[in-house]
Amino acid sequence: MVEDRTYDLAIQTAAGVRWHNGDPFTSSDAKFSIERTYDPAAKTLVATVLTTIERIEAPDPATLVIHTKKPDPLLPARLAFYGGQIVPKKYLEQVGPDAFNAKPVGTGPVRFVSWTKDDRLVLEANKDYWGGKIDADRVIFRPVPETAPRVAAVLKGEVDAITQLPSDQWGRVNQNPTTRGAGALYAGLYVLAVNSKVKPLDNPLVKQAMSLAIDRSAIVKDLWRGRGIIPNGPIAKGDNHYDASLPPLPYDPAKAKERLKEAGYKNEPISIEVAPGYMANDKAMSEAIAAMWKDVGLNPVVEVIEYSVRAQKNRERSFKGAFWSDPTSTLRDPDGMMWRLLGPGGPQDYWRLPEWDKLGDAARFSLDEKFRGEAYKKMTEIFMVHNPWIVVIQPDEDYGLQKYVDFTPNPNQQFEVRRFNFHMRRA
Amino acid sequence: MHGFGAFLAYRLFRTLIALWLVSTVVFVVIRLSGDPVPLLLPPDAPVAEMERVRHDLGLDRPLAVQYAVFVGNVLRGNFGRSIHFRQPAMEVALSYLPATFELGLAAFLIAVVVAFPIGVFSAVRRNSPLDHAAMGLALIGQSAPTFFLGILFILVFSLRLDLFPTSGRGDWRYLVLPALTLGAFAMASIARITRSAVLEVQRADYIRTARAKGVGEFMVIAKHTLKNAALPILTITGLQFGTLLGGAVVTETVFSWPGMGRLAIQSIYNRDYPVVQSTVFIAAVLFIFINLVLDALYGALDPRARAARS
Repeated sequence: MVEDRTYDLAIQTAAGVRWHNGDPFTSSDAKFSIERTYDPAAKTLVATVLTTIERIEAPDPATLVIHTKKPDPLLPARLAFYGGQIVPKKYLEQVGPDAFNAKPVGTGPVRFVSWTKDDRLVLEANKDYWGGKIDADRVIFRPVPETAPRVAAVLKGEVDAITQLPSDQWGRVNQNPTTRGAGALYAGLYVLAVNSKVKPLDNPLVKQAMSLAIDRSAIVKDLWRGRGIIPNGPIAKGDNHYDASLPPLPYDPAKAKERLKEAGYKNEPISIEVAPGYMANDKAMSEAIAAMWKDVGLNPVVEVIEYSVRAQKNRERSFKGAFWSDPTSTLRDPDGMMWRLLGPGGPQDYWRLPEWDKLGDAARFSLDEKFRGEAYKKMTEIFMVHNPWIVVIQPDEDYGLQKYVDFTPNPNQQFEVRRFNFHMRRA
Repeated sequence: MHGFGAFLAYRLFRTLIALWLVSTVVFVVIRLSGDPVPLLLPPDAPVAEMERVRHDLGLDRPLAVQYAVFVGNVLRGNFGRSIHFRQPAMEVALSYLPATFELGLAAFLIAVVVAFPIGVFSAVRRNSPLDHAAMGLALIGQSAPTFFLGILFILVFSLRLDLFPTSGRGDWRYLVLPALTLGAFAMASIARITRSAVLEVQRADYIRTARAKGVGEFMVIAKHTLKNAALPILTITGLQFGTLLGGAVVTETVFSWPGMGRLAIQSIYNRDYPVVQSTVFIAAVLFIFINLVLDALYGALDPRARAARS
């Protein structure tokens, strides 16, 4: 794919869009914002997201042209995820970054009113929003970290909606006469990532046995009360290039035992590191999977670690064996998920295979979706042999709602309130 | 007067030493516990980015240098900038103080108002069914885990009986359940100590003398007993007050109360060193101040303490 040309992305912005402070939104705001992400002086935390960009032009107020160093098929998706948020150039330069953080200005459906840390964030509807005013005058976010009071708040009608409704409360919220649950399949997977550099996990046969020994339907049914599906590989359902024709990951303890015998497994301990609460049901799943692994003759050791220890191990890539991870499909494409995390230099780079790497690299920089599809198909086949992740479940992200609230959640955990997905049906 | 001035100067000196020790211990311990940078950046941030942020925060310098900078800044009243909030750390911590005071004071008042009469009554009517019931309840109050009590209160008083909101901060109705939950432990321990202090004094000779003189039972309790039982009660009450004001992690979490305890624990998880320092510093100052007040009260109540001091 080496061609002597530049790669452009031209974007037309909607006409008449205004910032919350009344200034017109123009393409020079967009140019300023994107350039600012990788400007060392701005010290942003997203400096490494938009690395394929060579330069940006704003030929007129409604047009933005982005020149890239290489073809980047996912640039629009990248711009829609972190790093791509546009800030108002004039206002930001006028008041400075601290004042901007304290009183941010955007173009979206709600405008900032106030934020009391750990108490509430108050937003009000933007009447002039180009997509139409939302069906509420104010949106208030309140952090309620404990599950029981959060569920009680929706059951009692104190709040219109809650996030992170645990699967074991799904039935309760639906049985309550005034509330209901709403869910979206998570844009990502829950996996046991594996440090394939340590023995015996460097042996693909052992990892195949680990995967075959997991009774995923029991996990989905008993631990998740059916709020999730059994994945069929490393690509989440709903993503580009998800292959619906593949069967769900199989459960076959007899075959698992055979693989272990073939591998010459000698009861070496295999650690499962879990920071309870990092993801829903992680502790319970660790215990269930440890029991399933013991049944086929593996020797799992569940180790509980603290959040920040997990973050440190993640950075140092020093997990001892298997560890829980909830890869999010940031771009709704395998590039933003398995390649981002498992690719060379990625945060979960514990396993390398030149053939796999070549495919991942080619798919990243190709504009030919058919070619990309073939590449991800082959990568999936290789993945199933080596299992750098033991994929466990694709769970639902559930919300508790008052019955008068019509809300379609976004699968990527962003809480979106717009006309197309949010309505109040008050009498 | 000279004696009191010297006493005050000595206490101030001890206060400064205590604050210095507390700050130093926190400085060392939190840095042993891990690195804030991976928690700040996206998980796939490259090493160069990590190094840049670490350098910006001054975390790449030797620990001794970091410590010297820290002490120098604190002496000038500067506790650094919050790594997480990107605001002056002390400002962040102080913004949580009103909520903490509100909850701590309410819990304390409930605890004292309930515990004190119960303790006295239990002692006077020792081994009566009421004494057993009260002490049984106190045992539960002292041993029931706070999160259990809090969630129980929410389910019963909020969800079932619809008397109070489930969580959050607002008017007085929002304060009742968290204050009750937080105050339960203090209530129980104050009631128990009050009971045993009163019992202890009732065995004393001067009480028997008072009774022999024909002093009425009420006066025996109100005048002779309580005055002498006051010291241990005061001590436990003061200590509980300090604990309640220092922030209550579990209660604040269960009731989504925006207080300092929750800020402290979240800042520890975030490795937000400056905020942890600031919250610990505030808690230490409060504790020391309460101890100082207690000492002064001892002097007022007990001439022997005054004599020992000068």
